[in-house]
Amino acid sequence: MPSASVSLQRRSGRRQWLISLPQIVFVYLLLAGLVVLMLGPYLFIFGTAFKESYSLVKIPPEIIPKEPTLINFRKIFTNMPFGRWFLNSTIVATVSTVGTLLVCAMAGYTFAKKEFFGKRVLFAALLATLMIPGALMLIPTFLVVNALGLVDSYGGLILPGIGGAMGVFLLRQFIETLPSELEQAALIDGASELQVFWHVILPLSKPGLTTLAILHFTGSWNSLIWPLVVVNSKKLYTLPLGLALMRTEYQVDYGATSAAAIVSVVPLVIAFVFLQRYFIEGLTVGALKG
Amino acid sequence: MDATARVEVAEAVRPSSRVARRRVSRTAVRRNVVAYLFLLPFFVLFVTFTAIPFVSALWLSLQKGLLAGPKTFVGFRNFAYLPHDTITRTVLLNTVKYVATIVPIAVFSALGLAFLITNRYVRGRDFFRAVVYFPILAAPAAAAQIWSYILAPRFGLLSYALSALGLGDIYFLSNPRLALLSIALIEWWRGIGFHVILFIASMIGIPQELKEAARIDGANAWQVATKVTIPLMRPVILFSVVMGTIWAFQLFDTVFVLTNGGPMNSTATIVWYIYNYAFRYSQLGLAAAMGVVLLCIIAPISYVQMRVLGREIEYA
Repeated sequence: MPSASVSLQRRSGRRQWLISLPQIVFVYLLLAGLVVLMLGPYLFIFGTAFKESYSLVKIPPEIIPKEPTLINFRKIFTNMPFGRWFLNSTIVATVSTVGTLLVCAMAGYTFAKKEFFGKRVLFAALLATLMIPGALMLIPTFLVVNALGLVDSYGGLILPGIGGAMGVFLLRQFIETLPSELEQAALIDGASELQVFWHVILPLSKPGLTTLAILHFTGSWNSLIWPLVVVNSKKLYTLPLGLALMRTEYQVDYGATSAAAIVSVVPLVIAFVFLQRYFIEGLTVGALKG
Repeated sequence: MDATARVEVAEAVRPSSRVARRRVSRTAVRRNVVAYLFLLPFFVLFVTFTAIPFVSALWLSLQKGLLAGPKTFVGFRNFAYLPHDTITRTVLLNTVKYVATIVPIAVFSALGLAFLITNRYVRGRDFFRAVVYFPILAAPAAAAQIWSYILAPRFGLLSYALSALGLGDIYFLSNPRLALLSIALIEWWRGIGFHVILFIASMIGIPQELKEAARIDGANAWQVATKVTIPLMRPVILFSVVMGTIWAFQLFDTVFVLTNGGPMNSTATIVWYIYNYAFRYSQLGLAAAMGVVLLCIIAPISYVQMRVLGREIEYA
């Protein structure tokens, strides 16, 4: 049966191809449309970032700027603390990602490999929090952060973002699949629990950690509502907050907002190019976050 | 001599079991302590920023007062008042309208796109998968800024193109009848990749023989899609619908950046209400009560997703 169909395919392959040519053209036309739809806005705004202010309001709109200029980038980096916002986003996303990896890996390892009193109840409580919408937590989390004296500080921006049931869940799933013999052998050889975790579990969990790192970093990099609530001073703004308030605080200047939007996406695009597989893996896991 | 020897023997026989028992319980205790120490950093944060805020969120919904200031207990009066606040109905209606628009459109279009990309004539599937992922990378705030220029009246690319087609000037974001739809368009662009990538993975997983068998029985492409492929994708499609619904109910960022609820409250959503009532209008109790309403919508949907779909997906 398979060999018959193969030879059939081979014999009629050429003619088949000719017959289906219109279909192929049609399919690729649709795909070209898809590419334009998905990437077009980015490319158009990329071009816009290089437009002089007078060409922003031209009718018909310029797709490719006739006299490209760097003035918009100069504007956002000198008239606005955009460089500082970029730095803030980098600090907040990096610290909160590293913290999350550490605490979630420790907890995930424990739930995956250890037996202890109250394990099931704790894990169920953890899972239950996945059902809570973030907006419900906005006010009380603000009050907690306020009570800790962390409003309008890096601590207030970063600390509530560290951890999360989703990270524990993801890493527990991953660590469960690792063979227990390795850690037992290390323990028998006299390694401490912490050494086993650090030198055996963590290196083996790299794929799971990478997925979680990307998920958490992009989430933190892109998040708007928490920085909006917890930060007042302009020097503590993160990129999304700066981007959002550019409209109200500065007159709408599409050249500047375009430059800012493009710069804010670039780090993630670069990461995506190199780590595509983990980004796509994280997509389905991240869906759990609710 | 004899006595001490006997004692020694007795000591050697009996207490050894006791020592062993003690040793067992000691390792059990040690095991528990080690586990708790490993959990400690996570649970300190979890209690501080999840458990306590969750309980306090419920408690706050029964109170009245200012964000930083004294609060008084009012029982369920916030919930009783919510329906009388004229904006409540608008907010709920807008949110439901938005969910009912974006979810079916996203899921159906994603199905179409996934069929297109997995079409047997297509080479370079991974490239197209990356293409649909790209908009996901943009922060909602960045996507909003990107589209605000495209949607700008007169000189915006889309407005210009549509008016060139003779549709006249379109005020996407300042027309109360179009603003929410425009927001849906932006969110569609940003979120469609999630559904498409999920569907592509599921379609590739369907055994080729099943489709082949249907084709041999005389089914055309449409019939194969609707009678074989889509029914087999049911769990994934449901998952997609549920996730899309959960996200859509929490729409905020794009609205905040582009319209801030306007024009005429036409884009005011549940989360917009919570943010503004708590942090702008000092109506803490009402905001908290609306938060509980959101919880009552989201939690059951999430529960179904985790209980029913979570398991099915793993085996799919």
